[in-house]
Amino acid sequence: MPAAVLTAALVLTGCGSDSGSGSDSTGGDISVSGAYMPQPVSDDMAAGYLTIVNDTGKKAELVSVTSDIGEVTMHETVGGAMEELTRFSIPAHGRLAFKSGANHLMFDKLKHKPEQGQTVSVELHFAGADPVVVKMPVKSATYVPKTGH
Amino acid sequence: MRKKTFAAAALLAAATLTLTACGSENDSGSPVSVVSEEAGSDKAATVLDQPFEKPDLVLTDTQGKKYDLRKETAGKPTLLYFGYTHCPDICPLTMNNIAVAKKSLPKSEQDELRVIFVTTDPDRDTPSELGKWLKGIDSRFVGLTGDFATIQASARTLGISIEPTHKDKKTGKAVSVHGTQVVAFSPKTDAGYVLYGEDATVDDYTKDLPKLVKGEKP
Repeated sequence: MPAAVLTAALVLTGCGSDSGSGSDSTGGDISVSGAYMPQPVSDDMAAGYLTIVNDTGKKAELVSVTSDIGEVTMHETVGGAMEELTRFSIPAHGRLAFKSGANHLMFDKLKHKPEQGQTVSVELHFAGADPVVVKMPVKSATYVPKTGH
Repeated sequence: MRKKTFAAAALLAAATLTLTACGSENDSGSPVSVVSEEAGSDKAATVLDQPFEKPDLVLTDTQGKKYDLRKETAGKPTLLYFGYTHCPDICPLTMNNIAVAKKSLPKSEQDELRVIFVTTDPDRDTPSELGKWLKGIDSRFVGLTGDFATIQASARTLGISIEPTHKDKKTGKAVSVHGTQVVAFSPKTDAGYVLYGEDATVDDYTKDLPKLVKGEKP
């Protein structure tokens, strides 16, 4: 019998800790890591990558991205084709990665060609949450972030 | 007693499973990008057991001249990629990776190597557009454009599937498709014997190019 009680407690703890902060307590906020832009080939267009971490207790919705350097659209890549999306949702305590070969930010109609060493200012706009400003460093054209896996 | 212990153990096991399920559900719930990672391959190169024949492809180069792929690249180490210039992500990365890696080769081998970029978006990628773009990467790279059906058919012979540029239903913007592989052709046999996926890095190409220019297996 005590064993059964113990397992029940484990189940509760297991699920509870994942959604621990619940809907009423926000606690964390939305943060961005690993932002970079590979130096583009021309002043036509560029790609940008970053990871958004939603540490709040509720779903966040990325609805637009703006930048002082040009127009920004959000894309996901499906089998070699990219598809523009107008909304990306990030679950509570979840994350959304824009990375090479997958989701990416596309910068269009650039005012000038971003050069390695420069920084591009990007603002992420969320539905129901404050915007987040990101200083996106321009890296070499072949830069690949070192990932943990 | 023994029975009871067993039941408790089973329950514990179930609890562990439940815990795992909760954890993984949380993970998969987040829309972390889906990238198909080939299991168990630590090398970027895939050496083919059955090499591809070089496509019989005649297109237009960035000078507006006829370019016969088989004739121009006969006996030369050749890398072939299908992409388009309005591609912000993988196409420039792939071509830049090769361009940077190429610089580590001795000059004579750099001159031997043929890097061919065939557009999958011939309507927008005119010879001059293609030339302008490739100049920003490596002016020695060859850019080819022409009839889409011809390009698609040749890509298909290499197991590369591309679709014509189409308008996105929601945004009305043009959407093009790039191939996901670079095919390396041997200078000895002219056959396509090695494939590189889009996660191949500068280091991968730098390590392999000295072998590829000699027609050796990386």
